[in-house]
Amino acid sequence: MADIETIAASVASLKENFEQHRYICSNEIATAVFLAYQLRKPVLIEGPPGVGKTELAKTAAEMFSLPLVRLQCYEGLDESKAIYEWKYGKQLLYTQVLKEALDEVLQGAKGFAQSVSKLHEFGDIFFSNEFLEPRPLLKALREENGCVLLIDEIDKADHEFESLLLEILSDYQVSIPEIGTVKAVAEPPIVFLTSNNTREISDALKRRCLHLYIPFPDVEVESKIIGARVPEVPPELQRQLVEFIHELRNLDLKKLPAISETIDWARTLVLLHAESLEPQLVKDTLNVILKFQEDIDNVQSEVNALAAKITK
Amino acid sequence: MNAQTTDRTISNFIRALRNADIRVSTAETLDALNAVELVGYEDRDYLKRTLSLVLPKTADEKVTFDACFDQFFAFQDVRGEAEAALGDTGDADDQDSEDGGDGEGGGAGSDRQAQPGGKGKKNKSKSKNKNNLFEEEEEEDLGPGEMTDPSSALGKLLMANSRVELTVQMSAAGEAVNIREIQIFTQKGLYARRIMDQMGLADLNQEIADLRQAPAVPARRLGQQLKGRRDFLREQVRDYVEQQFLLNADVSGKRLREELLRKVKLSNVEHRNFRLIQEIVYKMAKKLSTLHSRRKKVFKRGQLNISRTLRNNMSYDGAIFNLHWKSVKVDRPKVFAICDVSGSVANYARFMLMFLYSLDEVMPKVRSFAFSSDLAEVTELFNRNKIEDAIAKTLRDYSGGSTDYGQALLDFKKLCLDDVDNRTTIIILGDARNNFGEAHAEVLKELYDRSKRVIWLNPEARLAWNTGDSEMRKYGAYSHQVEECNSLMHLERVVGNLLRQVN
Repeated sequence: MADIETIAASVASLKENFEQHRYICSNEIATAVFLAYQLRKPVLIEGPPGVGKTELAKTAAEMFSLPLVRLQCYEGLDESKAIYEWKYGKQLLYTQVLKEALDEVLQGAKGFAQSVSKLHEFGDIFFSNEFLEPRPLLKALREENGCVLLIDEIDKADHEFESLLLEILSDYQVSIPEIGTVKAVAEPPIVFLTSNNTREISDALKRRCLHLYIPFPDVEVESKIIGARVPEVPPELQRQLVEFIHELRNLDLKKLPAISETIDWARTLVLLHAESLEPQLVKDTLNVILKFQEDIDNVQSEVNALAAKITK
Repeated sequence: MNAQTTDRTISNFIRALRNADIRVSTAETLDALNAVELVGYEDRDYLKRTLSLVLPKTADEKVTFDACFDQFFAFQDVRGEAEAALGDTGDADDQDSEDGGDGEGGGAGSDRQAQPGGKGKKNKSKSKNKNNLFEEEEEEDLGPGEMTDPSSALGKLLMANSRVELTVQMSAAGEAVNIREIQIFTQKGLYARRIMDQMGLADLNQEIADLRQAPAVPARRLGQQLKGRRDFLREQVRDYVEQQFLLNADVSGKRLREELLRKVKLSNVEHRNFRLIQEIVYKMAKKLSTLHSRRKKVFKRGQLNISRTLRNNMSYDGAIFNLHWKSVKVDRPKVFAICDVSGSVANYARFMLMFLYSLDEVMPKVRSFAFSSDLAEVTELFNRNKIEDAIAKTLRDYSGGSTDYGQALLDFKKLCLDDVDNRTTIIILGDARNNFGEAHAEVLKELYDRSKRVIWLNPEARLAWNTGDSEMRKYGAYSHQVEECNSLMHLERVVGNLLRQVN
């Protein structure tokens, strides 16, 4: 634990540590993680797809040497898949197996009332921890040494699911009717939520979180990212490809290339032993950075102009 | 800066944010205070980053926040100079008491300057100006020396050199003239004047005039001093009013406009207000969505369906392991919107479509049709484009031609009568002015029989229905509900009812 504390002691040290784990982050991001740790608040991360929202949580877990518990959200996700479920099968199986033993339990009991009170003596065995199937949220609370909890793409889940999260986000506990309230055993988890903004997240949820917006990085940061992730790229090519991507982001495209695409493209170019961005090469590899045929067609015609702009 | 000042600065800042339309809850205010405690005030950028994580919660809000922050905390850069400027107005003789005054005034200064308005900057340039002016005007160099005591209340206050006192007096005067009610920027001068009057400007002016003509040097010296300080005070008051304006007025103006726009007839909305209307529509739509999305919950929360479970597990010798759940399935409303987009009604159609499509979370199945003479489906257009673009395209492509409701109904029948079933709600927006053409009300009757509801929204006032070529009587007979609908408020009510009934 001391380790985490030293890492999270200041924004500067966080930033440095992130860089050691090959995650280049802006001051905003480092500050967000710093506050998240110091204030024990979840961070809601928004931004265009592919700017490293999920990666941030993964790297944070790696950096703090904590386990990462991940909950991928989708439509129809509910508490039985996110928090806990009873092991129905096991419960039923046990009741069947124990049918014979029932006579012994009820030995000597006369009448219905007595039998029931005898049964009561055994308590709610079937609704105890033994029969509880913990799902990600409960698992995160039960981690001995704390953990990083990543609730990915919260905007894909339904409205109601957000309300379900409120308790765990503000108090780091969940209430299970049959057992009671389960609190975090050790350190409360460091929680990251990501959203692609396909719909508005409710105010109640936002109120409980720090809100971090990660935009597309500027040329300098993106170059650093490429340098960290794909160190084999020659410096000149690195400059050119990052600038080219930035030019693309100014165009009116259906899906703008994100950092992940830049990285993929850098890897591709390294594979092809490219030294600099030749228009023909760009045209051949456009499908790595653009994911719609329409976009590719639009950009094809502009490649020459763009390439001339950045190689000058 | 002590804890109390911090608290007040932050809460003032939050007030400014709220005025700039960023919603900040009490819980978030507390978070902000905790965060500030953690990061401190020393590093401005750091503070900004921190607060921008805690307070604004959307990308748009962050932009507003940045502007607000820069404006609000601008004083930090120039505080020293602003403070010095006050020192300048005192003269050498006064220096001792000045220091004392400044000491206690410093705290008050940061207090007061902690309020927003980019005033620091203004203060700096203007107070310098004023000093120059002061020196130029000085027709005789009286040099340092003793002065008589001022007689007017305000004069005494100014010469007492206590910023705390001055600020307190200024706020009191501000309250007395109801500065909080300031609404529009043209009122700023008026309020500044009123505050000065309230503080006793008339007496002071009289005194200055008297003193400047006085034969004795100390009296004239006092006159000069008072004049300089009066000008300084005027600056202070102006800045104070500016802050109050920022704190109180800015949005109430906007709120007023929104209030008005809700009620105004949609056809009269000017083009420049479209953006604002759009915002309102989204707000209203969001409100309705949250109101009605709760109902879906019923479906999701299953209860064990005991009888069905038992029945289905008979074959396993009564061992229950295939469970069945009760669930209530909620019909998602299936809405067909038929909009007259001819010139007279186009604006209403625009906002109704905007409204319907902003509700896509609770009304996923809206199909829309537009017509003036011939009818066509525009659903696809809306699925592929942004709402605004889709509306613009619809209006462009279909708004030509003279209105023919009969033809439109026939077209609709041909196009999708088969899709109309007892769960369908059909909304028709139009003034039913058919240019004396064939009404084909029998088609509407057919729709009326098949569908769950037919709602006719007529943007004309009820009085004008059935006059001239309006066929409202015929069509009204075959509608479940006929409503006058020509403002956002009407629209909200109609759609709200619709959701209630369909759910």
